[in-house]
Amino acid sequence: MATKKHFLLPTVISTFIDKHVEAWLSKRLPKSDEHQLNSANIIIYPTRFGLSYVAFVILVFVLGTNYQNNIILLLSYLLASLFMSVMLHSFYNLSQLRCYSQAKQQGYADDVLYFVINITTKKTHYDINAQFSDGTLNSTVEKIAQCHQGSHLIKIPYKSSTRGKHYLGRVSVFSEYSLGIFKSKAMLDFGHYAIIYPKPKYVNYQQYSLSAPLNEASYEHCQTVATLGTDDFFELKPFVKGESRARTAWKQMAKGQGHYSKHYQANQPTLTWLSLDSMPGNNVETKLAYLSFLITELTANNQSFGLVLGTETGDETLTITPNVGVLHQQDCLTALALYQ
Amino acid sequence: MIFFNAKAKNKVKESTQTKRVIAFSLHRKNAWLLWLCQCLNIAVIALELSTWLLAIISVLLAWQAFLLHNNKKQASIKAVHQNHQLRKHLDNQLQNQQNQQNKPFTTHVSSILLTVFAVLGCIVIAIKANQVGILASMVHLLCFSYVLKAFELKNRRDFYQLFLLGLFVLASALIFRQNLTSSLITLALLIINLAVLLQLFTPVRSFFTHIKVIIMLLAQSVLLAVVLFLVFPRLSPLWQVPLTQSAETGLSDRVKPGDIANLSRSSALAFRADFGQQAVPPYSQLYWRAMVLENFDGKQWTRNKLTAKNKRVLAVNSIDTSVTALSYQITVEPSFQRYLFTLAPAISDQENKTVISHDDYTVSSEKTITQAKSYQLTSYLSAPLTFALSKENRLANLYYPQGSNPKLEQLALQLQHNYPNVQARAQAVLARINTQSFSYTLQPPLLINNSLDQFFFETQAGFCVHYASAFTFIMRASGIPARLVTGYLGGEYNGTNNILGSTGQWSSQGHLSIYQYDAHAWSEIWVAGKGWLRIDPTSAVDPQRINSGWSRQLLQEQSLLNQELFSLYQLKNIAWLNTLRLQFDALDYQWTRWVIGFTRKQQTDVFKRWFGHRASWKTALILTLSLLVSVAIMLFSIDFFNRPKRATVPLKKWQLWYQKALTLLANYGLEKPAAMTVTDFTQQVQAHYPRLAIAFSRLSASYNRLCYQSLSTSEQAELLLVMQQQYHDFVHLVKSDNHKAS
Repeated sequence: MATKKHFLLPTVISTFIDKHVEAWLSKRLPKSDEHQLNSANIIIYPTRFGLSYVAFVILVFVLGTNYQNNIILLLSYLLASLFMSVMLHSFYNLSQLRCYSQAKQQGYADDVLYFVINITTKKTHYDINAQFSDGTLNSTVEKIAQCHQGSHLIKIPYKSSTRGKHYLGRVSVFSEYSLGIFKSKAMLDFGHYAIIYPKPKYVNYQQYSLSAPLNEASYEHCQTVATLGTDDFFELKPFVKGESRARTAWKQMAKGQGHYSKHYQANQPTLTWLSLDSMPGNNVETKLAYLSFLITELTANNQSFGLVLGTETGDETLTITPNVGVLHQQDCLTALALYQ
Repeated sequence: MIFFNAKAKNKVKESTQTKRVIAFSLHRKNAWLLWLCQCLNIAVIALELSTWLLAIISVLLAWQAFLLHNNKKQASIKAVHQNHQLRKHLDNQLQNQQNQQNKPFTTHVSSILLTVFAVLGCIVIAIKANQVGILASMVHLLCFSYVLKAFELKNRRDFYQLFLLGLFVLASALIFRQNLTSSLITLALLIINLAVLLQLFTPVRSFFTHIKVIIMLLAQSVLLAVVLFLVFPRLSPLWQVPLTQSAETGLSDRVKPGDIANLSRSSALAFRADFGQQAVPPYSQLYWRAMVLENFDGKQWTRNKLTAKNKRVLAVNSIDTSVTALSYQITVEPSFQRYLFTLAPAISDQENKTVISHDDYTVSSEKTITQAKSYQLTSYLSAPLTFALSKENRLANLYYPQGSNPKLEQLALQLQHNYPNVQARAQAVLARINTQSFSYTLQPPLLINNSLDQFFFETQAGFCVHYASAFTFIMRASGIPARLVTGYLGGEYNGTNNILGSTGQWSSQGHLSIYQYDAHAWSEIWVAGKGWLRIDPTSAVDPQRINSGWSRQLLQEQSLLNQELFSLYQLKNIAWLNTLRLQFDALDYQWTRWVIGFTRKQQTDVFKRWFGHRASWKTALILTLSLLVSVAIMLFSIDFFNRPKRATVPLKKWQLWYQKALTLLANYGLEKPAAMTVTDFTQQVQAHYPRLAIAFSRLSASYNRLCYQSLSTSEQAELLLVMQQQYHDFVHLVKSDNHKAS
């Protein structure tokens, strides 16, 4: 286990160093979706075991010297040069990996998001690990014991309980192959960030619509939410090949008006506006949580809705026009996540 | 999977601390390999350990094996239960089993028990320290902790510690033994140890692959290691270290009749002699002198402290250097004694201060010989030993306890009367031994109180010491100064062309190996005007022993007595095994000479030979340069090995033609981008070089058909012929075009 060395330095100095290291790193290893590991971005350093190994080799050398024993000396030389060749092997084990990852991931608070790193290799690599290098993220080490030629996925989990946009910093891809003496490591910047939506909080929208304040505009919009009904006949459209015969409007066909099929639509409100102000509760976060729930529910029910964000006092109001679908849901939830 | 520390694992689950604790676990296979590896490491050094410690260690190892085995059993029980899906009342049971499963490993890590055990072990080792010596007790402690450490593999750091301890056990085994065999065994074990470590990082692959990877790694490291060995400066010992107190091997400085017979059961190597290009003297001349025993108390022969201490200062002057000199190098195996071997009279290399010459023509080492040691000697075989005999020496060499062997004394007096000439008297004794029914055997009957009388007149069967003792006694009793000399006789020549050429010259290089069973004892008598003369009474009873070595009968006797797995007799009887043995012996000799015996002096010699006399800064420069070069070579070789291998499928004929056509066009300045299709390129050619277009488009069409159409073999052959023609046409066209242009 190669734990990071904790130097006991005053925080001022350590932050100063961190800052400069970060500046140097970002200059040397710029942000990109894709990285090819090579001598430019791999750093190799001996692990703690590696340092003890060196100490051990020196010990064997001293033993050989004190006993004037050539074979023990030879053993120590062999172990010393093994140190060198393991260093090179450690480098070659990590180099020529091609890593690709999407910068953005989104999800609800307290859900686990997976940042997927796609690793493409030309030969077999061993013991490939990845984690976020930012220690405060507390991310686990994800490991592939053996990477055959081809593509592999490493999923680094991330979980946050606060909504918003979180920058996750660099990913360190590292390996201690072959003997744990060296750690070769690449600090890759994929520009990873997570959009964390507010955690949905259950609200009975029937009840909510009744208890909604009788604000003229919002009442109008919200009223329709309540009138959920069974599917009703909506319109007739010319028959399109492949449509179910069960939908054929036989009446029209018999009259000789042509082949039409009946189309139904859920009796849903054509215009629904969700707004932050209309949510119950005093806390903005709670309101956002309710909104998050409603957006998810409405999308699941395939209902069209729009979103109005903005307080009564605030002059900036964000409005998303009513729409349906997953993309629309994502837009709305992102707006919630980023709401200031 | 075996979780060595279930506690740590739970901690991870529970804790939300920033510190991450990874539960250390070993695969079952890996755990067993580690165990096996430990057993092997201990086995290498087992000979240096006391029996009681070996017993403790084997108990500990067995305990661990039991734990490992138990763990597997419980895991399988658990699996069976899960398969049966007996969920109802099994929840409790499962929990119990889990507890049980952890139990062996909680006893594993039960630190109290472990500490108690460790403390007890240390106390025992400390108590026994006086008995076994400092070095041995340190080795005891090392092995003990090595075995105990395996019981507390809590995390990866413990595993690393165990690994390094294992390597240290291997290294310390080398203190005691450095010959080729043990070095090779150590290397093999190093590979296994490293493979077990490697398995931690790539548990997926088989152990055999790990071994292969480690061998490759070591092979890549060998060059640098050898360069370091050659050029890295040898340091003198940094501090005093406890020396090995191994049992002395070889000859002893006190000899009773019957002693050497025990030694002859051993077929261990005593020393080797290398005569270089010179002819090896005949077997009967190879009396390797080790010790001269002058004191006799009626039972045993011992060294005269005074003569042994006297250093021969002006050795060169005392020898008539007009006789032919024979210089040779002797490499002794560690005997944990101080005497060395020489063909008397000899003078040692003047530079070598670690070899001391003595008055009695023996040589000894300055220090106890704990590892292989080489020294150079020059012998003058035909030169006589010293003429002078001081009064004290004379008295010492005439002394015998009166009445210890009355019959022999009587015989001596009788002989003194019958043969006034000293040499004639000696011959008479030899003749008596030869004519009477004396026999030469490794299993002489026991003598009461080491009585020489009993041997000479009753049993009449004995080994060289019996004859030499009796002979020397008779000589002393009859008034001739005589002494017993011990050493080795003969040796086995190991060289590829050891036959004399037609010109009678030696063109070969080989060496003489002298084994413990070559141990011998003989007599020397002092004759006025001739000095000390060597008389070997054994020649009278078994002339073959003196002239060519052991007789078949003796070898058979030895193989019966020998407890070793392959006795010499068996080895010598099977021809190919014997050649193999000789070849290995030759290798071992080179190893001893060049690797074990590579001293600082030899290092400087090598430097001088390669680079001549240089200033020290130049030496340092060469040193760094050679290191850099070898590192660079290592780097390139590893780079070469690690390059992704491109599959090199040989190009088909038609592909070759097309490629050639493309290069021709490229000369014109029209290159085909790799992404462009063949047809598109044809159109481009048409646009740029209409003269060549028709020929090229034909060629391209054939190429496309051959590449992408499924053709029968006959069709393919036909098309190939067509394409060949098209290719030649195209080349012809291009040439003529060029010609026109020029």
